Amino acid sequence: MSAVRLETEIGGGLRLKNPVLTASGTCGYGLELDPYMDLSRLGGIVVKGLSPAPRAGNPPVRIVETPSGMLNAIGLQNIGVRAFVEERLPQLRGRGTAIVANIFGERAEDYREVAEALAAADGLSAIEVNLSCPNTAEGGMIFGVDPASVERVTRIVKDASRVPVLVKLTPNVTDITEIARAAVAGGADGLSLINTFVAMVVDIERRAPVLANGTGGLSGPAIRPLAVHLTHQVARAVRVPIVGMGGIACGRDALEFLIAGASAVQVGTITFASPGAPLRILDEIEAWCDARGVLDVRELIGSLRPWRESAS
Amino acid sequence: MPFDVVGRVLDNQDLGGGYFLTTIDAPAIAGVCEPGQFVMAGSTDPTELLLRRPFSVCLVGPGGGGARSAVAILYRVVGRGTGFLSRLVKGDGAALLGPLGQGFSMPRAGETPVVVAGGVGIAAFPFFLERLAAAGRPADLLYGGRTAADLPMLAWLRARAGSVAVTTDDGSSGARGLVTGPLEARLADPGARRDRLYVCGPHPMMKAVAAIAARAGVPCEVALETPMACGYGVCVGCVVEVHDFHGEYGRYRRVCVDGPVMDASEIRW
Repeated sequence: MSAVRLETEIGGGLRLKNPVLTASGTCGYGLELDPYMDLSRLGGIVVKGLSPAPRAGNPPVRIVETPSGMLNAIGLQNIGVRAFVEERLPQLRGRGTAIVANIFGERAEDYREVAEALAAADGLSAIEVNLSCPNTAEGGMIFGVDPASVERVTRIVKDASRVPVLVKLTPNVTDITEIARAAVAGGADGLSLINTFVAMVVDIERRAPVLANGTGGLSGPAIRPLAVHLTHQVARAVRVPIVGMGGIACGRDALEFLIAGASAVQVGTITFASPGAPLRILDEIEAWCDARGVLDVRELIGSLRPWRESAS
Repeated sequence: MPFDVVGRVLDNQDLGGGYFLTTIDAPAIAGVCEPGQFVMAGSTDPTELLLRRPFSVCLVGPGGGGARSAVAILYRVVGRGTGFLSRLVKGDGAALLGPLGQGFSMPRAGETPVVVAGGVGIAAFPFFLERLAAAGRPADLLYGGRTAADLPMLAWLRARAGSVAVTTDDGSSGARGLVTGPLEARLADPGARRDRLYVCGPHPMMKAVAAIAARAGVPCEVALETPMACGYGVCVGCVVEVHDFHGEYGRYRRVCVDGPVMDASEIRW
């Protein structure tokens, strides 16, 4: 095996064994991936967004593929924080990987309620605050586009939590760095970005949206360069660690995010296409570092240099 | 447990009318899959085709690993995914995840299996028809299509079903009309026979058959098809609305793990 050090830190002193996590909404509650990989090899698992009560989600049609991407409008269907704490978390903890609970709410009070329910549970490594779901009227984006709301909700969760708090940012704003700074002002230990872009596909025969929700969130390789750019912008604007994501399909994609300033990455849409993808990506990161004499993956974080002509 | 494999294409048959039967060597999947289960099939290169597509296991047959080591999928070319698969040639690799989901139940003692298929919905049944025939319970097949060209595998099916009734919208093969016609005629016959229906086809057809079955009081299993990103339970994109809210996912159930075969009476059509 190679001698590459893969440990990284994503805020509030939370150390991960490596920089690859599974993204919220693409790995269920983690256990669904059990048949396809050794979960203990993951840097972490970010579970599907949790609300105070279970939610049924949006009516179908919920997904549609687009060029190098897909739209989803699941509508934050989830089992609720209590079922997670009582039924899923006991099976997840002790699996040798960081467990991150993604949370959302309709009102600021909901975020407090979920955070408090999680604070009473054992085995959680961090909370990721979803201030960015575009698919429900109340899925957090209403908070995520307003700096004052971001700071307030972040503070509420931070005060209610015993574990590090990451805030997940939406790209559907004019200036993401303003939102990032607001989250840090509210006490965020780290930031994760980006959530999906609001998008629409039209069925021209019916002259209607393909998705029952009308719009959905665009994810997948199509958004990767946008996500790398936003990661770079935020990395220059704040001092807390960043978890980058958006269309990562291979190790080289993940390395772009690390070099642009992310301390870790989340793998999402590609896991739908290939359930073993997160560990393949981890192996590819390690192999790349090994081949280039990079002994510690942290050397890469934010190592982006100015453009220059390549030596020839 | 599902397996994620790269299988070699053994055969890719153009059946005409835009229908293809693609046989892929996949011993791990073929060895354990049951009639009614499905696979996610697609490209090994996500830049070529990002998401895999769900397909019923149409047939299980011989391949490199013995008599039961390949799976065949039947489909009509409608978009990028099926277009990609239709262009594969012998020796090409295809990404295959499976077997996935819940299959058909066998008919109970005293029941006559009746398969009702609409067009490419037939893809869910050849493997099942073989299983039924092997068990000495050959099914009666009611097979409808738009035209004679939309009845793939008809000759193969005639050799394996107990009986076959064909309908087409335009009368170009069998009786003119919908497949619900011979079904209603059959169920109106107050014989001693007890039928169990197995249905796959377009949504309006399955909805109509479910209503007929409910009126006649016969059990009815439907093989559902919805858009899926993952096929193994994590995307939650493939849901159908059900009557019974007992599940932790409320009024929606995932077709990929709770189906694709479900009891027609559970679904809010």
